[in-house]
Amino acid sequence: MASNNVISVKNVKKVYGKKSHEFVALKNVDLDIKRGESVAIIGKSGSGKSTLMHILALLDSPTRGTVTVNGVESTALKQRRINKIRNREFGFVFQQFFMNSRDTVLNNVMLPLKIAGVRKSERKRRAMQALKIVELTDKVKNKANDLSGGQKQRVCIARALVNSPSVIFADEPTGNLDSVTGKKVEDILMRLNKKGGITLIVVTHDEDLAQKCDRQIYIKDGRIVK
Amino acid sequence: MSLIEVIKSANSNLLRNKGRSLLTILAIFIGTFTIIMTTGINTGVNGYIDKQMNSAGGEGYLEIMPEATMELMASASMLSSEAQEYNPDKNASDAQVISDDDIAEIKKVDGVKSAKKWHMTSAEYITSVKTDKKYVIELATMPTDTINVDMSAGAMVDIDAEKPQIALADKYVAPLGFDSDESAVGQTVKLAVKNVVTKEIVEIEAVISGVMNPSVIGFGRSWINDSLSQRLSESASEGLPAEYKDRAFLAVAQLEEDYYSKEKMQEIKDALKDMGYSAMTVEDEVGMIKSFFDAITIVLTIFGMIALVAASIGIINTLYMAVQERTREIGLMKAMGLGKGKIRTMFSFEAVALGFWGAVLGVAVAYAAKEVTNGLAAQTFLKDLPGFTLIAFNPLNLVYIVLLIMAIAFLAGTLPARKASKLDPIESLRYE
Repeated sequence: MASNNVISVKNVKKVYGKKSHEFVALKNVDLDIKRGESVAIIGKSGSGKSTLMHILALLDSPTRGTVTVNGVESTALKQRRINKIRNREFGFVFQQFFMNSRDTVLNNVMLPLKIAGVRKSERKRRAMQALKIVELTDKVKNKANDLSGGQKQRVCIARALVNSPSVIFADEPTGNLDSVTGKKVEDILMRLNKKGGITLIVVTHDEDLAQKCDRQIYIKDGRIVK
Repeated sequence: MSLIEVIKSANSNLLRNKGRSLLTILAIFIGTFTIIMTTGINTGVNGYIDKQMNSAGGEGYLEIMPEATMELMASASMLSSEAQEYNPDKNASDAQVISDDDIAEIKKVDGVKSAKKWHMTSAEYITSVKTDKKYVIELATMPTDTINVDMSAGAMVDIDAEKPQIALADKYVAPLGFDSDESAVGQTVKLAVKNVVTKEIVEIEAVISGVMNPSVIGFGRSWINDSLSQRLSESASEGLPAEYKDRAFLAVAQLEEDYYSKEKMQEIKDALKDMGYSAMTVEDEVGMIKSFFDAITIVLTIFGMIALVAASIGIINTLYMAVQERTREIGLMKAMGLGKGKIRTMFSFEAVALGFWGAVLGVAVAYAAKEVTNGLAAQTFLKDLPGFTLIAFNPLNLVYIVLLIMAIAFLAGTLPARKASKLDPIESLRYE
């Protein structure tokens, strides 16, 4: 593949609802994400930025247009293949963390590997590696519930990392954190992008965070405006 | 995610809400326990009846009544809601009597070796030379020598012996002053009858041919031979008109050995039915007891099944709640690439696990209850019936019951499992 794009979106339209209740979330969006770059998608709530992220991450399919991941057009793929791509190629970090709070940090980090069907010993080894990167090896045995917000988000980053993905999607990763812990989370994500070579796609309305990325995409009323 | 991982996480998910899982398991347990215990009692009782049956003998033996008797019993019973009109040909009181002509008719049927009237016999009391005390006793004339009776000492009465003989139920041995079952054999007892006309009491001597062990077939009666039976009824009915002296309501017949097979016996029963008689084999009589127990078992098993249906609704409810609680987690796992099928399997296995633990608990508690009940029964109401285990489990049946309950649980789990598998990852992650 001549293209250096990890994800490429062509002429994508997304419509929710039917007929009179129709709501167009995305209108003819074209976007190429290059391998290794960091991209911020910025917009107000309701602008369509989350929908765009969901389509990029293959969590949602466009009403029209194509999404190509690593040179493979994914819109036409079977659900099974799409699940596999999400599991192998993507990592997710959410604003609300989404952890099993009663389970241990280790088990939370291992979850994507469990889904992938990786052996238990290998799971543990790779999870420990990921936790080392976010500097939480001392919290392995703790229940997720006992961690602070910043620590929780670092566990989530470890979980996103554990599958060695090519892309990490971060949806308002610092939205629930104070500025000091938020800064630490930002630094980890940026370091993964710059040193680890992982493509980073951040959805945010925080201008400061967006400015740290290589490229900023402003979205308004379902269109890329800048 | 491998299947083992799915099963493991299904099981550990049950522990997340221990109280709720435990209550659901308890509901399943109640249904399982009921079913296991009822089938256990059925197995125990029928097993004992079969054992008794196999040793009962009675090949080629028939008890014959006029059809009129059967009809009267049916019309007088609760089964009939209407009063029946009298018909002198069918309902006359003497239509129920077995006459000498009846015996002659029965003897003409192919395959019947012998037939005779069977008299109801009763005695006022029994006593012996060793004691002054008198005891009431239930007697029955031994109808055939093909019936095997479990003897603790001596032998069954010789039906055709000239001398009066009695085979004594073992509970009379000590009261009548004998040291042991063995020492009672050959001793003389006295049976008393009251003449229906003069009200005078006559004592008749009889020799103890043997002492019997308790059994279901015997019903605690003591058996006497024809000679003693005749003497008792003669003494009782002396002075009555002739036709009242030799009244019988039942005939007993013994078939030729060639006619012992089930099919041949059925042929003879059919032939007798055409002549206006109703005949029963030993098997028929035991069959009546068995079908009675079967009916009770079926009713109790239905109660168990109803409990299981209620428990299934409990499973559905529990899992729906679990799906709701774990919506975001399901969404997350889907986002991370877990397929629909695996999610469905995970929840189905949670249902199966609930069923499995409920069933296992049911088996374990039923087993303990069986041990305790059998122990108590053997010491109390089944004391006189050695070899009678009230509750018996057939291991294969237990396995089937556990599998059945797991299958029911699986079916109950399909609805919530479907709901979980159909959740949309984005929607689920937004779920509050």
